[in-house]
Amino acid sequence: MMTTATLSAQDGKATTVKKTFSRATSVSILIDSDVSIIWALLTNASDFPRWNSTVLSIDGEIKVGEKIKLKSYLDPDRTFKIKIKEIIKDQKMVWGDAMGTRVFTLTKTEKGVLFSMDEKIASPMFPLFAGQIPSFDESFEKYAADLKKEAELIAKGK
Amino acid sequence: MDSQLLTTEFESFKGQLKSYILRMTASVQDAEDIVQDTYLKAHTNLSTFEGDSSLKTWVFSIASNLAKDHLRSKKRWPENVTDICKEAALSNQEFFQEAMTIRHSSPQGQFEIKEHISFCFTCIAKSLPLEQHLTVLLKEVYDFKVKEIATIIDQTDAMVKYYLHTGRSTMVSVFDKRCSLINKEGVCHQCTELNGIFNPDQNAQEEVVKIKMAKEADNPDKEHLFNLRMEVVKGIDPFESDAAELQLHHLEQNRKVMEDYLKNN
Repeated sequence: MMTTATLSAQDGKATTVKKTFSRATSVSILIDSDVSIIWALLTNASDFPRWNSTVLSIDGEIKVGEKIKLKSYLDPDRTFKIKIKEIIKDQKMVWGDAMGTRVFTLTKTEKGVLFSMDEKIASPMFPLFAGQIPSFDESFEKYAADLKKEAELIAKGK
Repeated sequence: MDSQLLTTEFESFKGQLKSYILRMTASVQDAEDIVQDTYLKAHTNLSTFEGDSSLKTWVFSIASNLAKDHLRSKKRWPENVTDICKEAALSNQEFFQEAMTIRHSSPQGQFEIKEHISFCFTCIAKSLPLEQHLTVLLKEVYDFKVKEIATIIDQTDAMVKYYLHTGRSTMVSVFDKRCSLINKEGVCHQCTELNGIFNPDQNAQEEVVKIKMAKEADNPDKEHLFNLRMEVVKGIDPFESDAAELQLHHLEQNRKVMEDYLKNN
């Protein structure tokens, strides 16, 4: 049985937990689409800017061991160099750099596919630059909403 | 199914198959070869055809696999293929002389703007990733259903929908940026420029408004304009139309230019 906490975690609202040496942001949303469509959207690097309003560009290929260069509207002047650390097709993908790790998970449920995205920034030096890192909440919510919209639109295609 | 029936049915859709392969490869010779190999393979493996799909779907599946094998190692063309090829053509006197000879001597040497729209789509669609390219062609030009395309390219229905959606979206965006027939700011005017060269006595604007897509250019629904573009493409057989020889000559030129360009880029 789903608890209230579980249900509210699927509404596309981001939550952030701040600690002394870390910050973790999460979002989950239920998507009425096929898992392979969602997976294809999440792993086709060059197509991201078309549907994802948080991403300016991604250069490189989303494959295990590859490094990608990501530009985000959150900080458009900066290029994030990210390594693709783990991929389990249609289920899980882990990206990361020296400071943080982002985990994408897809879980099939009776009501659709539950997409979750979690990012944790953690370092002994975290308190020194914590104030310079913008909140991810709005960006995470847009990301999840865009993915839901696009994946559901594709699934409805004839 | 016996081989006689295969031959009869194959003949009924051979034209479509050949134009499909031409639109994938941009090569007349490759289209001829792959269609021939497809027939031979279908003939050899006829006993494995169990009738789960139509014979046409099965044959298109064989042809698609042969074409994919042929294209897998080749680079995709860039979106601005027509700009690159135009520049190369302008410095190639021989190309224009040959084209003019075809224009004036061949029964399939007419120039029509709608024929060039089809030609242009063939070139620009080669910038799509291969699976998207196949899917867009099969659905939008050859009217296969999602389930049939899934069989042809050996993918799930969901992935066919994904390829179709992303391929269409990309093409809508590329043509919106480039094509001056649907966007006054569009950077490409080649169809009207060529019309001026091949049909100097014609008023290009009068010709343009005969094309529904151009007539409805102000419609903000870009998907609708793309559908109208696909109607134009669908209505043209690149091997049989009145402009076939002229357009195939142009296509061969573009393919050679792209082969050279992609070696160095």
